[in-house]
Amino acid sequence: MFGYIFKKIRYLSLKNKDKSMLQDTIAKKNSEPISSDLERNLEVIKGILSDSSDVTIHEFNFGHDRRFKGALIFINSMVDKEEIHKNVLQPLMYGTLLLNKDIDMDFTQIDTIRRNLISMIDNLKVTLLSDLLDNLLAGATILLIDGSKEALVINPGKRESRAIDEPGTEAIVRGPREGFSENVNVNIALIRQKIKVPDLCVEKFIIGDKSKTDIFIVYIKSVANPKLIEEIKKRLSRIKVDAILESGYIEQFIEDNPYSIFPTISHTERPDKAVAKILEGRAAILIDGTPFVLIMPMVFIESFQSVEDYYSRPFLASIVRVIRFLSYIISTLGPAIYVALTVFHQELIPTQLLISIANGRERVPFPAILEALLMLFTFDILREAGVRLPKSVGQTVGIVGAIVLGQASVEAGLISPIMVIVVSSTAIASFAVPAQTGSGTILRYIYLVLAGLAGGFGVIMGLLATLLHLASLRSFGVPYLWPIAPLDFSGLKDTFIRMPLWTVSKRPKAIVWSDFDSYKQSPDLMPSPNGEGN
Amino acid sequence: MKKKMNIPIMNISIMKLALCFLILFTFSGCLGGREINDLEIVIGMGIDKDESTGNILLTAQVVKKEEVGGSGKGEGGGESKVFWNVSSIGNSIFDAVRQITHKTGDRLFVSHNQVVIFGKDIAAEGLQKYIDFFLRAHEMRPTALILIAEGRASDIMDVKPETEKFPAINIAKLIKSYGFTSHLYKVNMKDFASCLMSATTAPLAPLVSLSQNKDDKDIYVSGMVVFKNGKMIGKLNQEEVRGLLWVLGKVKGGVIIVSSPDKQGNAVLEIIKAKSKVTPEIKNGKIAMHVSIKEESSLAEQSTTENLATCPAFDEMQKASAEIIRQEILAAFNKSKELNADIFGFGEILHKKYSKKWKELKDNWDDIYPTIELKLEIETKILKTDLLKKPAFPSNEGE
Amino acid sequence: MNIEKGKISSQQLLFLVAGFVQGSVLLIDFTVGITEQQTWIVVFIGLAITTPFFLSFVMLAKRFQGMNLIQINDVVYGRLMGKVVSAYYIFFFLMTLSFNIRDVGELYITFLMPDTPFIFFLTVFTATCAYAVAKGIEVLARVSHLFVVTGLFVIISTFILLIDQMDFSNFLPFFELPFVRMFQGIHIMSAIPFGETLVFLVIMGCLNNTKHMIKNSYIGLLIGTISLLIVSARNTAVLGRTQTIWTSASFQSIRLIDIGTVLTRMDFLIGIAQTVLIFFKCCLFFYALVVSLSQLFGLKSYLPLVLPLAGIEVIIAATVFQSPVDHASITQNAGIIYSAPLMFIFPPLSLLIAKIRGLPRFERGKGK
Repeated sequence: MFGYIFKKIRYLSLKNKDKSMLQDTIAKKNSEPISSDLERNLEVIKGILSDSSDVTIHEFNFGHDRRFKGALIFINSMVDKEEIHKNVLQPLMYGTLLLNKDIDMDFTQIDTIRRNLISMIDNLKVTLLSDLLDNLLAGATILLIDGSKEALVINPGKRESRAIDEPGTEAIVRGPREGFSENVNVNIALIRQKIKVPDLCVEKFIIGDKSKTDIFIVYIKSVANPKLIEEIKKRLSRIKVDAILESGYIEQFIEDNPYSIFPTISHTERPDKAVAKILEGRAAILIDGTPFVLIMPMVFIESFQSVEDYYSRPFLASIVRVIRFLSYIISTLGPAIYVALTVFHQELIPTQLLISIANGRERVPFPAILEALLMLFTFDILREAGVRLPKSVGQTVGIVGAIVLGQASVEAGLISPIMVIVVSSTAIASFAVPAQTGSGTILRYIYLVLAGLAGGFGVIMGLLATLLHLASLRSFGVPYLWPIAPLDFSGLKDTFIRMPLWTVSKRPKAIVWSDFDSYKQSPDLMPSPNGEGN
Repeated sequence: MKKKMNIPIMNISIMKLALCFLILFTFSGCLGGREINDLEIVIGMGIDKDESTGNILLTAQVVKKEEVGGSGKGEGGGESKVFWNVSSIGNSIFDAVRQITHKTGDRLFVSHNQVVIFGKDIAAEGLQKYIDFFLRAHEMRPTALILIAEGRASDIMDVKPETEKFPAINIAKLIKSYGFTSHLYKVNMKDFASCLMSATTAPLAPLVSLSQNKDDKDIYVSGMVVFKNGKMIGKLNQEEVRGLLWVLGKVKGGVIIVSSPDKQGNAVLEIIKAKSKVTPEIKNGKIAMHVSIKEESSLAEQSTTENLATCPAFDEMQKASAEIIRQEILAAFNKSKELNADIFGFGEILHKKYSKKWKELKDNWDDIYPTIELKLEIETKILKTDLLKKPAFPSNEGE
Repeated sequence: MNIEKGKISSQQLLFLVAGFVQGSVLLIDFTVGITEQQTWIVVFIGLAITTPFFLSFVMLAKRFQGMNLIQINDVVYGRLMGKVVSAYYIFFFLMTLSFNIRDVGELYITFLMPDTPFIFFLTVFTATCAYAVAKGIEVLARVSHLFVVTGLFVIISTFILLIDQMDFSNFLPFFELPFVRMFQGIHIMSAIPFGETLVFLVIMGCLNNTKHMIKNSYIGLLIGTISLLIVSARNTAVLGRTQTIWTSASFQSIRLIDIGTVLTRMDFLIGIAQTVLIFFKCCLFFYALVVSLSQLFGLKSYLPLVLPLAGIEVIIAATVFQSPVDHASITQNAGIIYSAPLMFIFPPLSLLIAKIRGLPRFERGKGK
């Protein structure tokens, strides 16, 4: 029975392989050179794009005697026609008309046209049909000339994009308000505006058989570990997929630990955060079409850091950071500890509290573990519903869920009041560490089930396994729990508390990974009013 | 660069492990948890002898969970009790604990037990054989207080206190506040066991009594019971207990009343701090215990018109209070000689200092104890006079 | 070739040793029945006696840099004899690990969760150990300091919480016990927490740098000893003469914590902390067992052995003794005797033979 199913699956996968081979042969056919015969070229292109009604092929004659034949090919929806008209068509058709007959230019040479007539900057020559098509589909305008074996690709000057806006996911009180947008060129500009060094490398990849998405690796050559960059390139180059629609696609194809619930690549919408990480020796991957930039390598404690920690003074920032750690602990362990205490270790609860908990649970028909699972599940439903709905409706859901459902279920005797307190504080705490929401939610359920089955023993075994798992993770060679495990005292300056900026003069050792200390500032920056100035 | 790619074998073993866990959990089912509302929370236990059969009568004070909260509802029915004294008879304590399930329907949950009260008849018979369960059972706390009832333990547990909800917690509170008078001290299971294990030291336990005027019943602690070889042999009254505590260094507070220097009234001193040091000495085969006590107090009240806040008056009062302390200690010491019970733990002190000679002394300690000599050295200080410099009387300094 | 490819630093070795010795903290409860208020002296004497032997382990590992116990045995005693000695060691690892696993089970079944089936604790605990071992020594070394810090934190904080109940005259009188009992106590103390450090003969082969290994490993041993000392001092000072009657004196002293009637009955939390400490010890033992067995069989990787051995360990642990009484008497009498040669005879002997035959130089030449 199982054998049959396996055979079937194998057969299907083989079948799919055949299909992909078929696609490869199509691609091969496209990679033939452009012929010098315009008619033939157009025919081939029409043949390939025949089903698309938005492809415009505009044939025209030009030259002072109209003896040259040319064609502009573009996709209506992606091209600013005004601009093409002004900068390409007009010079070709009217400009050449006015040329002195004595100056006999050979307009079958693309270079001649490019040098003399086209007043748009971003253009290039292609010789292969496949390149031509790629550029055409990416939004460029193609100029084909009869008698030339080359085609001119004219890129549009501007592309429709959203204005630079405040990032929706990472709002802060003090700090820059700009966020990345969907246009990768704008995003690179945002980074370039902040790092003005010549060795800021921006390397381009194109990934996706169908989407042909532009992907840029951004790093500082003199800071980043060359092996890291090599590894990223290696991993990127083995991605063979149809489309990259968001950075999450890339993340899932290149991460170290696909089976782990912990993310080993971080993402951000904030240019200042991305820049800070790049300056520490990390690499960023920018992907066209999404405001979320991937940053690697990632360590666990990054989830508890916020850029604002460094913009505000160290004292409050340190407290806030401790609060974030506590929140993560509460959000993962809260319900589990409650269940373990009330079901297995009632002796640990102070007598008066025990009596009042027992009184509150008197009418509750379910075991505590079921009660907790029910409440957590309800909370997750509420959150999911609230996130996807429009803002105004989302608020209503929150009110209905929190007040009506919570209070009513207590009054109806379905849930004990203390459970409501436990679950709601867990829920609030889970929002304090947005980067680990995913792992936190899963761990919360795992620990809860362990606590319900084996009390504190189950929880501690779960915690040990989690710790060992975390310690065994690596993100691009960097131990995930650095600087806690392995211990690195210089890294601890920016872990549980944030030491003042002037004390942290070295770049993180694990990320730069060089034998000598890598300084980001001079080590004697402690402010003193009567210092060297006098 | 350190780099370790995932080895496929690792992943397989992780999945196998996960599978093992899953199987384990699905087959193991419920692993001994108890829902909190199924617990019969016991906060106090009383042990008596059943008069008719001679078996053990166990009284457990169980919290009535549904009555406790009382958040607004049923305010008129204030009469309803929030506790339930459920009792059973058994051949041993554990037997009785299990017999009780016939009445409660559920095991007793004794982790929160605060006090264990033994009836007088049990104490007279000997506690040694009854205390084992309380030390051995894993739910019991070794900090549970041990008490002896002057009559029957079940009667003590029935008295409903006015401010507390539960009698057992009220009794625990009474014992734990011993520092205000130093007329008793708290003895928990571990302390009692520790004394029981000693070859010489006599254990003590507070004695709770019932006072009745009209319909009101009240509970108070009237002294301490002295045990020897696990059996109750006598009782120390409140002064004698304080005499004992002076030597043990456990006096935490209390009141000393001395007559004022002009003999017109009394001065009342409050003990702030007391320290003691006991050094044993064996000279020519005679054992002497040097006890030095340092006490500090404050003038808390006076009933004469004379201004006591003067150096000569302080001197006199200090002397007088030292004398009172000496009286109390001697009272306790004489009582212990009378009972021939080493309540001070002198035997252990000797053991620690003269561990070689101790082997000879140990065997006939009962003969040696009454011959021990007590040498007292008492130093008292009055440190302050609180809010008044002079009493609220017309000044007679003008004369 | 050493089967383990992972590398650990000598700083991590310090924490590994310290965590390993801390893992024997429950043993204090075991010796206290024999040596009463002199347990702390016994800890000291045990340390003093074991020091030369411990140093011989480290020297041996230093001489045979990059090799584990099984390889050393092969080199020192020859192919055949080496295998026999190694098998003896492996038997020791196998049994000691199962005793330790059983300890955890007994801890829970007696003190913490008596209603839960015994086998459940054994299985879950061993499975978690197996998970840790499958992650490799590097991961264990990386988190070792966390275990040490947790252990010290718990031990010191319970000491502080109990300080008002302590009576330091409980240590008196010194030197009261008969010599036989002292000897028995010292033997247990030097054989179990200190002598068992011979597992590091398997682990020290992974050191990336042997420069400070003697100093660091000895500091680790001292940190572990300090934990044992604090625990024994706490128990004696708090419990006095009753300390001998309890199944576990540590638990009993922690049960006495009563801070404002809120912090009471902390024994479960401490039980968890002790589980964590024993867990670390068991992981190292399990690791040593798995590595030496696969080294003996010449396997390429030890991972395939992890799960079967875990199963075997659970079975041994569940069936080897009938009750804690049985456990105590067998360990006290037989257990220590059979393990003594492994700790006190073979390592110094190996060192001697190596010195006479000039083995390390030969081996170094061959290795590189």
